Amino acid sequence: MVSLIEMPELVMENIIGFSDFKDVLTLRQVCRDFRNFIDDVDDSKLPDSKFEGISFKILDETTIGLSYEDEDDSYSTGYCGMNNFRCFSQNVTDLGNVNIVDVAIRDLEWLLKFQKSVLEEFDVSFDEYQLRNDSPFHSLPIKVRNMFEKLNRKIKTRKFTLKTYDESQIIAFLPFIDPDALKSLEFHSLDYDGEVEIEIDEIAKTEQWKNSEELDCEFRVLNLKVEDICHFSSINFQTNTISAKYLDSMKKVFIKSSKFELLFLGWESFNENEELTNLWGPAFSTETAKLHWYFRMKDSEERILRIIIDNTGHLLWFDVCKMESIPNGAIVQDYNEK
Amino acid sequence: MSSTEQGTSSAAPAEPTTAPESAAAPEVPESFYYVHGKDKVVHKVSAGALQHSALIHGMISNLGYTEEQAKANPFPFENIDGDILQMVVDWCNQHKGKPTPPEDTNLPKQKEKLFDLVLAVNYLEIKELLTYCCKQVAMMVKGKSPEEIREIWMIPTDAEDEAAEKEAKKRAGKEAAGETAAAAGDAK
Repeated sequence: MVSLIEMPELVMENIIGFSDFKDVLTLRQVCRDFRNFIDDVDDSKLPDSKFEGISFKILDETTIGLSYEDEDDSYSTGYCGMNNFRCFSQNVTDLGNVNIVDVAIRDLEWLLKFQKSVLEEFDVSFDEYQLRNDSPFHSLPIKVRNMFEKLNRKIKTRKFTLKTYDESQIIAFLPFIDPDALKSLEFHSLDYDGEVEIEIDEIAKTEQWKNSEELDCEFRVLNLKVEDICHFSSINFQTNTISAKYLDSMKKVFIKSSKFELLFLGWESFNENEELTNLWGPAFSTETAKLHWYFRMKDSEERILRIIIDNTGHLLWFDVCKMESIPNGAIVQDYNEK
Repeated sequence: MSSTEQGTSSAAPAEPTTAPESAAAPEVPESFYYVHGKDKVVHKVSAGALQHSALIHGMISNLGYTEEQAKANPFPFENIDGDILQMVVDWCNQHKGKPTPPEDTNLPKQKEKLFDLVLAVNYLEIKELLTYCCKQVAMMVKGKSPEEIREIWMIPTDAEDEAAEKEAKKRAGKEAAGETAAAAGDAK
């Protein structure tokens, strides 16, 4: 009898194409010939795993977590450096002398190889443990990047979330994400005091930044130009100092935008309330520390741009509201081209 | 309604023949070719049915045989078992000039036959049938564990495979040594 391993290449490619990714990974475990064949086969011949989300995280000092979900189920795998084992559902595999970082990255690589449809979310999270020289995870970010490079294909996801201590990793990882599919960027800082600063110039030049519609950045952003954020519909970021002039240019941009929804900005220092009153007229105020302004948006009867400055909370937000939610006594200023 | 239409067409003899009739009696007579497998049993197949096989189709167009030449020179497929070639011929006849359906449920259920069929179809380059066969093999793999797959298709584990390879090498080594000894003996 002819064995399955004796099938010609085209036949094997066809069989793999009609299998689902779990069956292909099972075939890979059957024997050396299958393993070599599947490892060498072009990614385009592999079936689509149709995951909706993939998340790769350092969970604690010795553990990495890899989780992913499809339409029906979610799965997670833990890689524990303490006793060097991998744990998937009820199955625990002793990894012997093999480095758990390498195993976890290889598993992530397989998930990405099979993923052809666009992910809803791709989430990568490094922790501060990785910063220490003696940590088993010290080289993890560089190894993940090398794997992405080897993958030779941009990762298609609607939302990319990167959680890190080291802001330089944003520009290092962003190019591996497919800008055409991207809608939302989230950069979380592991420095809970929010003091890590980030120069946004280079990041704002990337197609990934330009194509996104939403931005959530926990790092303290420096040099963020208004023209670099005007394409977003939703923005959340922090910065050191803001000026009345800067806020006014933001107002001028967003008042014209038909897709603008929300901007949330935290600052360290702002003391130009008077200048703002000169520019925007007197503010409406119900609580002493909160100043409100209302502006009719361009080409819209319904949409009102609301700007609230909270001087005690050191934050401000721009959002879009309807006429009925405007408090009594507040003035809605007409749209003005200037 | 339909009887009225028929009445009208029969009442007008000048009308050209209707479409179904012309399909039943084509203007150009169909050419036939002959193939045989390992068992030498010759099958007469129309060029239309053979179009499914890119390999045979290519051979036919290059040779430009007359009916007599085709009869005298059946295509020999010594690498294909007779019963498998019969299956292939039947499939080509059934699907002659028809669009192929998305599924084919008439494929052999026995894995031995299915595998032989896959190899024959791959060799003859019958794309659609190969697709059905590969789908069927994929279905047979679906949801099985590596152990089950090894058992079904009698695939050795890597360790067994290595042991068998070592054994074969050893045997080959011994045989070679034996041959050398024999050759040396002959030389004497």
